[in-house]
Amino acid sequence: MSFRSIVRDVRDSIGSLSRRSFDVRFTGHHRGKSQSSVHELHDEPVIQHSCWASLPPELLRDVIKRLEASETTWPSRKHVVACAAVCKSWREMCKEIVKSPEFSGKLTFPVSLKQPGPRDGTIQCFIKRDKSNLTYHLFLCLSPALLVENGKFLLSAKRNRRTTCTEYVISMDADNISRSSNTYIGKLRSNFLGTKFIIYDNQPPYNCAHVSPPGRTSRRFYSKKVSPKVPSGSYNIAQITYELNVLGTRGPRRMHCTMHSIPASALDAGGTVPGQPELLPRSLEDSFGSISFSKSIDHSVEFSSSRFSDIAGPRDDDEEGKERPLILRNKAPRWHEQLQCWCLNFRGRVTVASVKNFQLIAATQPAAGAPTPSQPAPPEHDKIILQFGKVGKDMFTMDYRYPLSAFQAFAICLSSFDTKLACE
Amino acid sequence: MASSSSSLPSPSSSSSSSSSKKLVLRSSDEKHFEVDEAVALQSEMIKQMVEDGFGGDVIPLLNVSSNILSKVIDYCKKHVDFDSKKKMDDRRRWDAEYIDVGVDELYHLIMAANYRNIKGLLDLTCQKVADTIKGKKPKQIRIIFNIKNDVTPEGEQKIRKEHSWAFE
Repeated sequence: MSFRSIVRDVRDSIGSLSRRSFDVRFTGHHRGKSQSSVHELHDEPVIQHSCWASLPPELLRDVIKRLEASETTWPSRKHVVACAAVCKSWREMCKEIVKSPEFSGKLTFPVSLKQPGPRDGTIQCFIKRDKSNLTYHLFLCLSPALLVENGKFLLSAKRNRRTTCTEYVISMDADNISRSSNTYIGKLRSNFLGTKFIIYDNQPPYNCAHVSPPGRTSRRFYSKKVSPKVPSGSYNIAQITYELNVLGTRGPRRMHCTMHSIPASALDAGGTVPGQPELLPRSLEDSFGSISFSKSIDHSVEFSSSRFSDIAGPRDDDEEGKERPLILRNKAPRWHEQLQCWCLNFRGRVTVASVKNFQLIAATQPAAGAPTPSQPAPPEHDKIILQFGKVGKDMFTMDYRYPLSAFQAFAICLSSFDTKLACE
Repeated sequence: MASSSSSLPSPSSSSSSSSSKKLVLRSSDEKHFEVDEAVALQSEMIKQMVEDGFGGDVIPLLNVSSNILSKVIDYCKKHVDFDSKKKMDDRRRWDAEYIDVGVDELYHLIMAANYRNIKGLLDLTCQKVADTIKGKKPKQIRIIFNIKNDVTPEGEQKIRKEHSWAFE
């Protein structure tokens, strides 16, 4: 039987098999023999027009890893964001490769503004105040210089004075700062005296069970988010209080931040901030945005509101109620006899004395599971988690680290800008 | 370099000596390439095949066309030379020139390098793709690589938001 006829036979008998499997069989038959007779089988060019779209994932991963590794700093970091907008598979790969700021120390996608800062080191930012239109802009420092004009824009805020309170709307857009915009990400609201502030996040914190203390206020906010006009919810994630100053108008302030969305255990060895968006299936939709089973906003609102009232409520008392929120307090400044002023060591990051300057550390609390007094507190508890201070006219630095996010840190700093009638 | 199949020596006759040992590779379009074993062994896949005892036969490379295979062999030959000389500058210059190809050819090179498992060439091709992406808008990237935008409208909205933040 001639080779050609063998080929025909084989071809006829396996007609419906794919070319590839056919090739494999075929190879076995003719190894080392003349091939000129079989050209007819390979008349079709292998080139397909959209071959890049189906690049094997391991190769796509290699390519994007290289891109990610080379574009580490802003503004060139934006090329990673551009890469994530090409198509679904590229997007998923980018999201997989880009690590959260907690581990990479880098901000890449806007979602990282609500993720905890780095465990090693701080993310250094600066805030520019514009008194003429009551706006505040947060930038990522791109150089160690204190008074720079350029930085990567992160967040903006606008101060709105209301009859009973002051509200700071926080946005991802530098110019369009309003609650109705889809770039709205949360707000800070003060009480009338400017001594107590609440940070509201437009997304539920993912450990949401114990976020909201039961009561009228919270109920009002939850019912609010069902309204179709509001793009998303309003979740009380933290409270900041400024204590009345016993030293009169000139002394240092005392501040307390109760971070409802961060358990105190986040600072323990092996502790984490629970429910990081990318770790939950529900927010896969959030971070990828392109997955086909994504729900409409209305659905997710309903989902979370029902979860709050029906499911989370009882659980709150049973399990999660045990989890205490992280409490931050400002480091007490010491009185400097020679300079005749209150001093804090900002390690060169703050240069102008101001009542607004502060450093936040974790308040150590005696409680179940806490280390006994004889043991030293774990090193995490000594670290300055957020520091803020003046470096020039309308220029302030803001350095934050794990477990705070840029959004939370910015909101806490905004509270320091606000006038405190009772404190000063 | 591509010889017609009829003029090829039978594989069995070239499998004995070790120093100047030749291997025969066959492209998907049935062209045969006789190369030094050292050159062919740049490919981990071929190395594995030789270790498994297939070195005496024609090695079929089903996914690699003759023009890509000849380009891949160019790379392997040159890098066998480079490995013996260790001139990094020369190597870099040669690599840069070598990889200065269109995206179609680049695709086939990257696939061939992956399929045959040639680490150096895989690095070179992947880096070239990364460099091509760098500095481009998503739309430009899609046009260059002929990729369809399959993101849903809701996803698109999210991406626009992300994009305007990143490119602020």
